[in-house]
Amino acid sequence: MDVLTLAMWIGTAIFLLFSFVKDKRKTRQALKMAFGMGKGMLISILSIIFFIGLILTILPPESIAGFVGRQSLLLATVISAAFGTITLIPAFIAFPLVGTLVHAGVGVVPAVAFLTTLTMVGIVTLPLERREFGLKFAAVRNGLSFIFAIIIALVMGVIL
Amino acid sequence: MKVIKKAKGNLFIVVIAVAYIALFMINPSVGAASVHNSFYYIKEMVLIMPVVFVLTALLDLWVPREKIVKYLGKDAKSKGAILSLVLGSISAGPIYAAFPLCAMLHKKGASVRNLVIILSAWAVIKVPMLLNELKFLGFAFMAVRWALTVMAILMFSWLAAKIVKDSDLPVSKEKGSGLSINKSACLGCSLCAEKYPELFEMQNRKVCLKTINTAVEHEKLMHVINACPVKAIAFSGDE
Repeated sequence: MDVLTLAMWIGTAIFLLFSFVKDKRKTRQALKMAFGMGKGMLISILSIIFFIGLILTILPPESIAGFVGRQSLLLATVISAAFGTITLIPAFIAFPLVGTLVHAGVGVVPAVAFLTTLTMVGIVTLPLERREFGLKFAAVRNGLSFIFAIIIALVMGVIL
Repeated sequence: MKVIKKAKGNLFIVVIAVAYIALFMINPSVGAASVHNSFYYIKEMVLIMPVVFVLTALLDLWVPREKIVKYLGKDAKSKGAILSLVLGSISAGPIYAAFPLCAMLHKKGASVRNLVIILSAWAVIKVPMLLNELKFLGFAFMAVRWALTVMAILMFSWLAAKIVKDSDLPVSKEKGSGLSINKSACLGCSLCAEKYPELFEMQNRKVCLKTINTAVEHEKLMHVINACPVKAIAFSGDE
């Protein structure tokens, strides 16, 4: 276990201990909630992981990096952003995945575009959003998020 | 029948399982490599998932959401925007879990701009996720992306409020009296089934209503509704 993960475990444990001292009932409720959420997502997370494992075997990160590298930066960024809008990967799987891809040589700009649209723009969840807020709100929010995800990515490419 | 129904609900899992079985029959070495690749992510998941979920649940329960909600109205200027950012950053669950909560906030007077801020912050800048990003992509990456994302959210939420007016949002339709459950928002945390097992149960990792044959205890029900992290349970009747 690396230092950071260890620090996260220790930090969470301290928070948990504080919480327990302050309010036992509430803490028990939090733990139950965490456990319930984890259990609810476990199977779908495992299937997504096995799917990613399969894809990365057929398309090794190096060849993905090669393919992305051959495109113009803008095109690669827009394609990555588009990929992000249609995929539903939980963020804590997305970070190690993007980490793998970046270490294999995929540029930071397409990686950021993918990460940002992945969580912020959702084609799959659009019907749900429309039902609660109407088509105009859903379309404007997702559209603006997509455009700004690309801007964030391009600016990050300049800074980093 | 039950098997078919289960398979339909878990179509993706079935497809993946079939793909792996086929792969192992055609080309075992590729299958083994895929399993090997998957195990890296499983290991990372096991290391990080408990922390992420516990931290998320603790933040969700300890930060006084009701107090924050009070300041999200149309008159709230920068204070409302900042509080919206905070509210989104500390809440539990994926973005679609935020929809019913935000719809409720809109009913209580939250502005379009603040709704966009909450939804976007909920999606991208959650605290446990930032720690995760730090681990895999480094501090500079995480910090710069966070700063840029916050700026972007503040800008495009302002733009969105210029385009979308309050009148564009649907007026909450009367759902009829009684109890309703928004299953698409349910995280499967099972707090409700825990607190009120006579009324709620978990089926296929989602909450379900049991057939009621006893009178609903109003106070107990309200307690459950408030405890639900994503406000997926609603009761319209005499309040």
